[in-house]
Amino acid sequence: MALQLSAHQQSFLLEEERKLVERAQENPRYFAPLYERYHDAIFRYIYRRVDEEEQAYDITSSVFVKALQGLHKYEYRGLPFSSWLYRIAKSELYQSFRDQKANRTVSIDKVVLKQVIEDWTEDYRQQDVDRLLGKLRLLKENQLQLIEMRFFEKRSFKEIGEITGLSENNAKVKTFRAVLKLKQFFHQIE
Amino acid sequence: MLKILLNRPEPSMDTVQQHQDFNQVLAAFNYQKKVLNPWRYWHYPIWVLALVLLN
Repeated sequence: MALQLSAHQQSFLLEEERKLVERAQENPRYFAPLYERYHDAIFRYIYRRVDEEEQAYDITSSVFVKALQGLHKYEYRGLPFSSWLYRIAKSELYQSFRDQKANRTVSIDKVVLKQVIEDWTEDYRQQDVDRLLGKLRLLKENQLQLIEMRFFEKRSFKEIGEITGLSENNAKVKTFRAVLKLKQFFHQIE
Repeated sequence: MLKILLNRPEPSMDTVQQHQDFNQVLAAFNYQKKVLNPWRYWHYPIWVLALVLLN
C-alpha cells in the first residue's frame, strides 16, 4: 500500500508537506492540495469500515471539516500529515458507530482469507472460512483494527504505527499478539 | 454488531474523485466557524442596553 521511498525522498516529501500545512494554517483556502492528496486514501479507509458508500462519503467530508477546524493546533512531528488525518478519521468513524449512524464493517478479500487459513491449517475448507469469520468477532476492537490493517489492507508496520499512534516496533508487537489471539481462537475446540 | 463483507467491490478512483469537492468542505468549515463563534452575539446586549437607556 505504501510506496517504498528512500530516506531522502521521504524527508523531501515531509518537508514539502510541512510547507503546505503551514500555508493552510495561514489561510484555509490553501488546504486544497492536502485535501486532494489525501481524499481518496481517507475515503477508502472509512469505506472499508462502514457498510454504506454514502455514509463513507459523509464521514470523509466531516473528517476534512474537522481537520480544518483543528489545523491551527496541528504541530509537525516528523510524521506524514496523513497520520493526523487517519486519527481524525478513526475518531469520526467511532463517533458514527456510537451514534448508530453506521455499522462497524470489515471488508475482506477471499484470497487473503484463504492465505491466512492455508498458513494455519493443512488444507483449506469452506468450514474454516466460516470459523475464522466467526472468530474475528471475538477479538477486541483494537486487535481487530491491527489485523484489518495488516492483513486485509496490506499496510506496513510503519504505516500502522503512524495511523494508530504507536511506534513501528510497538505496532509490530501488538499486531503479532493480535494474530496469536486470533490463531488461538481459531484452533480452539468448540 | 460487526458486519463482515467478503470481496466487496470498491468504487473507482474516478467515482471517488467526483465526490471530491473542496469548496463544499470549506463552506461547511466557514459556516461552522461562524455558528460556533462565541462572539457572534456580542452586540445583542448593547442593543438591549441602548433600548433601556432610550426609554
